[in-house]
Amino acid sequence: MTRELKFESPSFKTRIKGMLGVDFYRLFHTPLFYIFLAVAAIIPAMVSAMTMMPDQNGNTMEPLYSNVWQIIAASKSLYVIETIADYANMNMVFIFGGIMVSIFIGHDYKSGYVKQLFTTHAKKQDYMISKSLVCAFAMACMCITYFIGGTLGGLLVGYDTSVNIGSLIIAILGKMIMSLGWASLYTFLNVIFRKYFGVSIASSFFFGTGILIIGAAAVVESLSLPTSFLNIFLYGASVNASLASGIGTLITCITVSAVWTVIYNFLGTKLLSHSDVY
Amino acid sequence: MNAIEIRNLSKSFRGMYAVDHLDMTVPVGAIYGFIGENGSGKSTTEKLICGHLVADGGEIKLFGRPHDDPGVRVRVGALIENAGCFPGSSVYQNLRMQTINLGLKNPDDEIKRVLKIVRMEDSAGIKFKSCSLGMKQRIGIAMALLGDPALLILDEPINGLDTDGMRIMREILVDITKNLGCTVLISSHILGELEKIATHYGIIRQGKMIMELSAKDMDSRAQVFTTLKTRDTAGAVRALSERFADVRAGDGHIRIFDVDDTAAIVYYLMKNGHIVSEIKKNKVGLEEYYIELMSKKEGE
Repeated sequence: MTRELKFESPSFKTRIKGMLGVDFYRLFHTPLFYIFLAVAAIIPAMVSAMTMMPDQNGNTMEPLYSNVWQIIAASKSLYVIETIADYANMNMVFIFGGIMVSIFIGHDYKSGYVKQLFTTHAKKQDYMISKSLVCAFAMACMCITYFIGGTLGGLLVGYDTSVNIGSLIIAILGKMIMSLGWASLYTFLNVIFRKYFGVSIASSFFFGTGILIIGAAAVVESLSLPTSFLNIFLYGASVNASLASGIGTLITCITVSAVWTVIYNFLGTKLLSHSDVY
Repeated sequence: MNAIEIRNLSKSFRGMYAVDHLDMTVPVGAIYGFIGENGSGKSTTEKLICGHLVADGGEIKLFGRPHDDPGVRVRVGALIENAGCFPGSSVYQNLRMQTINLGLKNPDDEIKRVLKIVRMEDSAGIKFKSCSLGMKQRIGIAMALLGDPALLILDEPINGLDTDGMRIMREILVDITKNLGCTVLISSHILGELEKIATHYGIIRQGKMIMELSAKDMDSRAQVFTTLKTRDTAGAVRALSERFADVRAGDGHIRIFDVDDTAAIVYYLMKNGHIVSEIKKNKVGLEEYYIELMSKKEGE
């Protein structure tokens, strides 16, 4: 049997639609996504409840928070934390998200499905963009379940609920927007360590903790730069989305997230285009 | 136009050439049997064609276009090493993902169509991890067949299958090439099976293409030989060697090459006092041809 052969180059929109479709289908059909949504909800609820538990001597522990919304975002931008309470807020989603993204992308390689993707998608940017967007969506969803879990936990414990509602909304939106930058970073890390599943998870966890900001903060301090300079980093901008946020915070989050997304997608595409994909 | 045209393709790993300045031409509509021993560079070449690996040098064209042209690559179906499916997902879900990836309209009809081709209509609900090796290979072919592939690249699809699995796979491959009009590049160690379907062959050794030929060329090059048995093998070989140029003995049988007239052989042996108890006319198959070619190359 012979047939006429016509080859039409698919547009960027068509290509990305296909790749995004697969990734969303996978996301909604994998238990991993729902497990991490639940984890994101349970952890803040547990942190709230634990603060009111009696210690070994039967004394009630000093509450970590004074306000229910501090479980969602810190009272002000804290680049270097002093207590666990400073740390335990919605930024934890970026750690859970890092692990989830690593497992999600790692399964592409472990199952061999990545071969199907790269056979039919000659442009490596399709892969980077699609993974970044889908993983950002997953992390944004985790922000929502974190908000629900943290709020319910805080209300049950009986924390104060007074808040500047505008700042709270901006803080939550800011962190959700930052998910895109974080997802791009994790996608890039997973592309670098694509042959080493464990290293991918470890590296995502390491970067997700924001530990590098401590070093950056020391440099900023030694150079007598304003601490707001740290907002150029993903973690800095994420921390900056606090209960003291204003519209400028939101603009910073959008800009920083977008810039890092472009950088990581560009680097990831270059890496995949110039090296063996598995 | 050729479906695959490769010129001077090279790929090395840690300084060792896996593909060494390879040239390859696969005509449109061919079933191209890609033959070579383990580690000869077959899979590496296939991965280079599919864009999974980056070449050190050389050029790959698919249907006259660069191999990284999205328009041509979306029409390539591949089964390389394994089916590339998620083990925890069902056969249907895995195929569904590929239909989404390819942006196919009527995905369910497409899935039904390819499952029918690979004789797995009733297996859509089974989890991929519960499938046997033969089923997994067939699912891999089904994945590769989704959409409208102009080129199928199948890496060792027959390996590891039992006799029945091999038969089913052969039938599937014949169906595909007859009914779908795809060009197929298929690598395999099981030359007997390949011989039944291939229209062209490429023989690769240590990353180099040592020969490309069509099945017709192969047929014309294949030596005819007669196998026979007598009581006195040694005596019969002595007698036959006086008359015929290429006489070989082994396993209690005598082989006489390039003699078409079996009656003349029997008559000659009878005249010399040897009674023929068995006689059969044969042709050197792909496997024998390949072994002979390899041994010649080793000797060089």
